[in-house]
Amino acid sequence: MNAHLPLLEIRNLSKSYGAVKAVNDVSIHIDRGEIAGLIGPNGSGKSTFFDCSTGLARPDTGTVILDGQDITGWSLNRIAREGRMLRSFQKTVTFKSLDAEENLVIAGQMFTFPSIAATFGLGKLSRSRIEGLRERARELIKMAGLWDVRHQPAGNLSGGQQKLIQFASMLMPEPKLILLDEPMAGINPKIIERVVDTILYANKSLGVSFLVIEHNIDVVTSICQRVVVLDQGSKLVEGLAHDIIQDQRVREAYLGG
Amino acid sequence: MSLTETVPQARRRDLRIPLAVVLIVVALAAPYIGSRYVTHSLIIALIFMLPAHGLNLLVGYTGLLSLAQAAFFGIGAYTAGLLAVNYGTPFYVNLIAAALVSGAAALPLGIPALRLRSTSFVMCTLGFVIIGQAIAKNWVSVTRGDMGLSSIPKPYFELGPLSFTVSGTTNFYYLALAVGVLATLAVWAIVRSPAGRNMVAIRENETLAESLGVPTWHYKLIVFMISAMFAGVGGCLYAHYLTVVSPLTFQMYYSTTMLIIVLGGGAGMISGTVFGSLLFVGLTEALRVAPEVRMIAYGACLLVLVFWFKQGFAPLINRFWNAIGGVK
Ligand SMILES: Nc1ncnc2c1ncn2[C@@H]1O[C@H](COP(=O)(O)OP(=O)(O)OP(=O)(O)O)[C@@H](O)[C@H]1O
Ligand SMILES: [Mg+2]
Repeated sequence: MNAHLPLLEIRNLSKSYGAVKAVNDVSIHIDRGEIAGLIGPNGSGKSTFFDCSTGLARPDTGTVILDGQDITGWSLNRIAREGRMLRSFQKTVTFKSLDAEENLVIAGQMFTFPSIAATFGLGKLSRSRIEGLRERARELIKMAGLWDVRHQPAGNLSGGQQKLIQFASMLMPEPKLILLDEPMAGINPKIIERVVDTILYANKSLGVSFLVIEHNIDVVTSICQRVVVLDQGSKLVEGLAHDIIQDQRVREAYLGG
Repeated sequence: MSLTETVPQARRRDLRIPLAVVLIVVALAAPYIGSRYVTHSLIIALIFMLPAHGLNLLVGYTGLLSLAQAAFFGIGAYTAGLLAVNYGTPFYVNLIAAALVSGAAALPLGIPALRLRSTSFVMCTLGFVIIGQAIAKNWVSVTRGDMGLSSIPKPYFELGPLSFTVSGTTNFYYLALAVGVLATLAVWAIVRSPAGRNMVAIRENETLAESLGVPTWHYKLIVFMISAMFAGVGGCLYAHYLTVVSPLTFQMYYSTTMLIIVLGGGAGMISGTVFGSLLFVGLTEALRVAPEVRMIAYGACLLVLVFWFKQGFAPLINRFWNAIGGVK
């Protein structure tokens, strides 16, 4: 559908919190199959931009078009469910008292059951749907390297392991687009590699497009083709990752910020 | 190498099935084992177990603290009482009507209340009980005001050519037990379903659940209505058992009792609610014969809970259950 259009197109998005212009008239697009980066100094509005694109916050102005459909004003759950655009949170979150498998099954449920009413079912169909989700969950758990800790409550795992659960959860529903908010922050280099591999796998084999906020510039240059730079809520520049890191304005923004 | 590794653990016999059989037999034979007063206490425990089951779905599984259960309990009691008094309808009609009316009443109340954040939500639900009482007092043409409804007939069944009336404490006990067992199975089915898993997801982290496509607002509203339906069923039994319903049915004391059952028994565990009803209602009702001891025992029980069993008694029950099953 609409193969010639960008997968996600955001036009003139603005959002203020009181006197703070967190996001100021930002437009970007993500192409099909692309891994794009979103960088900028602390407080430059990257997370707010995510919140407004995914329905967690309401933009003051601007339009969000996903796969040719205007989804501005849709709720977070509807954008996830019907738009298949998922997002992670900067502060790692999991369902802490549940194990990895349950975490992933929850992530897949609303994409497998056709209605809320159907989720109250306990019949054969319902059981086989859940069994299907469990199988997929186990595969992803293996791939994420969490097999040995799969029966532990997620809250007992390390921050990096919880990040992996969060990431694997987003792959459950066969998403079109995933927005990652600092997937590498606070995790050790070994897990960084695993997360990078998983992102590349999801991109190449599952056809998922990505928009990634990341402060680790090596990661950005190694996985992102195109990078958008935000500074004080506005788009500073946009271009190929290698050019961006050489850009004088970007260097100044980071040093000045 | 430690000893436990070399010596295979002697697996103890599974005592769970014998214990379950004993419990079932005791439940069935209770009226013949204990005095009439014990049977009465058990009936009260079973009646309060119903709104507590509903509350457990809300507090224990979905993470929403509500004090509105007494309001829906009262609505159910008045619905059943009015039907029975005015139209002499059979028990199951009253029961279904009580559940439906209470559930329906939860819709307009839940829509604004569930938009509020945690503490405001609690205050709002508290308001429902007060409003319920005010309506019961002042809508005199229907509710008969402070006089309330009296001489509510005994539960009456009409099954084809067969019709009978449930009279006497013993028979009422079996009716309450049947309703209680069915309700417990219904709760079990709900929490085992995929929806039950979504409820837990909302309790654990609502925003995360939302970001994974779970329409949390709809689930919260549905669970609020289901929990009200359970309360309505409890109210129906209450009306038929006490044969009187007055505005005092809407009282905060009932809401707090239901909350103590759930939290004390162990929120988010079905066995906790069953046990909590027996302990906090059955026991205090049974201790009514010794009023000096009663409130002290109740208070002591709560203190023990707060200091030693923060999760309620259910984890203890689970450990015991696993232990006699030879697990670990
Ligand atoms: N919910 C909110 N209420 C008030 N102000 C907010 C809120 N969210 C963000 N802000 C403000 O908006 C600005 C942008 O914040 P945002 O979190 O989007 O930046 P960021 O680029 O993600 O930063 P970081 O790299 O530190 O995560 C900041 O000045 C922040 O204080
Ligand atoms: Mg941020």
